[in-house]
Amino acid sequence: MTNVAEGFTPGVGNSRPDDSRRDHVPGDSSMWFFVIGDLLIFGVYFVGYMYFRGQNHELFLQSQARLNLDIGAINTVMLLTSSLFVALGTEAARAGNRAAALQRFWIALAFGAAFPLLKMFEWIPEISSGLTPGTNLFFMYYYVMTGMHLCHVALGLVIMGFVIRNLKTSTTPKISFVETGATYWHMVDVLWLVLFALLYLMR
Amino acid sequence: MAEVPKASALPAEHATSWRKNRKLDQWIAFWSVPFFFNLFGLVFVPLSWMMPPRSPSSTTPNIVDFMHSHNLLIACVILTLAYGLAPVSNACYLMQVRRMSVSPAFRYSMMIGAITGAIVGMLFPMFCFGLGAFRPGYSSGVLTMLYDFGYLAFIGSLGCFCVMWMAFGLAIILDENSILPKWLGYYTIWQYVTELMAAPVWIVKSGPFAWNGLMTFWFAMTLYVSWQIIVYVCIYRAIKNQPEAELDNASPELRPKVVELRSGTSA
Amino acid sequence: MNTRGQRILLWTAPPAVALFALAYLVFPVFSPPLSPTLTPDQVAAFFRGNNTGILGVAILCNLIACSLVPLFAVTAVQISRAATSSTVLTYAYLICVGVGTTAFILADYCWGMAAFRPDRDPQLTSLLNDMAWFFFIAPVGTIMVQNLCFALSVYLDERPDPIFPRWVAHFNVATVVLLAPSAFSILYKSGPLAWNGPLSFTLRLTTFAVYIAVMFWALLRAVRHQGDDRVVLA
Repeated sequence: MTNVAEGFTPGVGNSRPDDSRRDHVPGDSSMWFFVIGDLLIFGVYFVGYMYFRGQNHELFLQSQARLNLDIGAINTVMLLTSSLFVALGTEAARAGNRAAALQRFWIALAFGAAFPLLKMFEWIPEISSGLTPGTNLFFMYYYVMTGMHLCHVALGLVIMGFVIRNLKTSTTPKISFVETGATYWHMVDVLWLVLFALLYLMR
Repeated sequence: MAEVPKASALPAEHATSWRKNRKLDQWIAFWSVPFFFNLFGLVFVPLSWMMPPRSPSSTTPNIVDFMHSHNLLIACVILTLAYGLAPVSNACYLMQVRRMSVSPAFRYSMMIGAITGAIVGMLFPMFCFGLGAFRPGYSSGVLTMLYDFGYLAFIGSLGCFCVMWMAFGLAIILDENSILPKWLGYYTIWQYVTELMAAPVWIVKSGPFAWNGLMTFWFAMTLYVSWQIIVYVCIYRAIKNQPEAELDNASPELRPKVVELRSGTSA
Repeated sequence: MNTRGQRILLWTAPPAVALFALAYLVFPVFSPPLSPTLTPDQVAAFFRGNNTGILGVAILCNLIACSLVPLFAVTAVQISRAATSSTVLTYAYLICVGVGTTAFILADYCWGMAAFRPDRDPQLTSLLNDMAWFFFIAPVGTIMVQNLCFALSVYLDERPDPIFPRWVAHFNVATVVLLAPSAFSILYKSGPLAWNGPLSFTLRLTTFAVYIAVMFWALLRAVRHQGDDRVVLA
């Protein structure tokens, strides 16, 4: 199979792979298409959630109280830290400092990988105690939204893995690929922030 | 290859008669698609009112009444005559994926998904609806089971399409020949996401996550239908823009390029 | 080009046909074909009374369900040899075959299920029997389209020495017309179009049998004449 990194030439509209001009769109422009669209899709879920929350305020409040706020908060920190290191790593890659970039991405990956792990510690007790997606509308939204988000996290970790591989093995790492991966990961982080606020925090 | 077709096969972009079109097989296949989709739409909506889906929490008399509707049988007949066109519409995807620089495994995955999907997501549920109308006298329990099975199979068939959209989306994104635009690849990833979004239909019987729900049906359908239209517009362009030199039946003067392109396929 | 693989696969068809013929002849449900007008109680009684025979054939057909697939696969290879601009017809053909075979297997499962627990609620047994007949007789759509794809590949073939004689394509188109009535079997419980009627049942099965025989002959001939011709990778 074609090496993903090598095959990841800039898409439609972005013809220069290693553009060092400051005002170019970072990464693959089609990734931005994906990011914006993905945000819109989640946006519809957020709006839907808010609407039904308005209709069933009591139910949502009570159900919300059963969530594990601690793990939610820790996960938020994990993702934020991970994003920080992704940003630092991207900066290092842009400056040509491959070793630093690699190290920072490894750290980012480690923090990112903690997210699904902690999620399991959150979900499994909840499900064992009978709080399933079918319990009520709040929990359906909760599981569906955090579930879809988790799939995005998993994909993001895979992409980060490829970025790391590209940095490690390729003689001329493609900055646009690093930027594309970083863009995706930041989107995943932003989504989580909104999810956390909506599902866990908002009273 | 055997002898060369003669001068009548000169590659002319503006063939005087559509019959002389070099890509006739692809065009015939392509134009069957809007025909099939429109027929499908007519059958499911105004003819039988299967779509938009009725509620899983309909009252039993309503379910029984609906399942006895004669139009369901007529819908079955039309579909059993026409559903062979679904494979053709899938083959149109496969043709473009075949031109991409990615491994054949992508199009084989899509093909297998298409095969499975045609039965579990189309023929089987259609018959569930027809069976109730075929023989009056079934108990309401049986009819409700058929009703459930029909809708769940239509709207809740997930995996076969997951593999199709994943393979298709990945193929487009990884493709170095830029057969289809990259943003379409990402859009196809959302097709995959609509399958994830539809999963809750197997759990709840009312509200936004039921099989007729706002999130699982209406929102998912908005994404799905718009993708379906867009992808075929892109495929139309791709067929149209395919250089004649690249065609399987290209005349030999142009043939050298053909070998190169196909050897770009990796294993 | 070594066509030995194709020839081997083709020659699995005659034994397959023999087994299908055997299954047809000993299947209690087909001799004579059960009438759609039977009440659930009568159907249940039938399944109770012919249990062994039905189960035996159901198991046999479960095993041989895909035994004609090699013949269709060779057809797909020959379709891909046609000088068309793409292999769209090959793929459409392959998918149609997959779908059609699955429908047949489902029919077999339903009959097997009905016979498995003969003391089931007669309504359920009757439902399973109806389902089996639906899946066995009605889904002609994929066979029709696959034959049209084949015919198209012959008509569009630009080769000076065609792979198949043109009449084979005409024959395929004729089968499409002859098979179509079966789709209407779900509208009727009696008459020529009902699932046990001369159009939906006899004509359909006869057409299919003749079709397999003709295609077998045509494919053997095509493969024999393939020579060094390379096939296009589908």
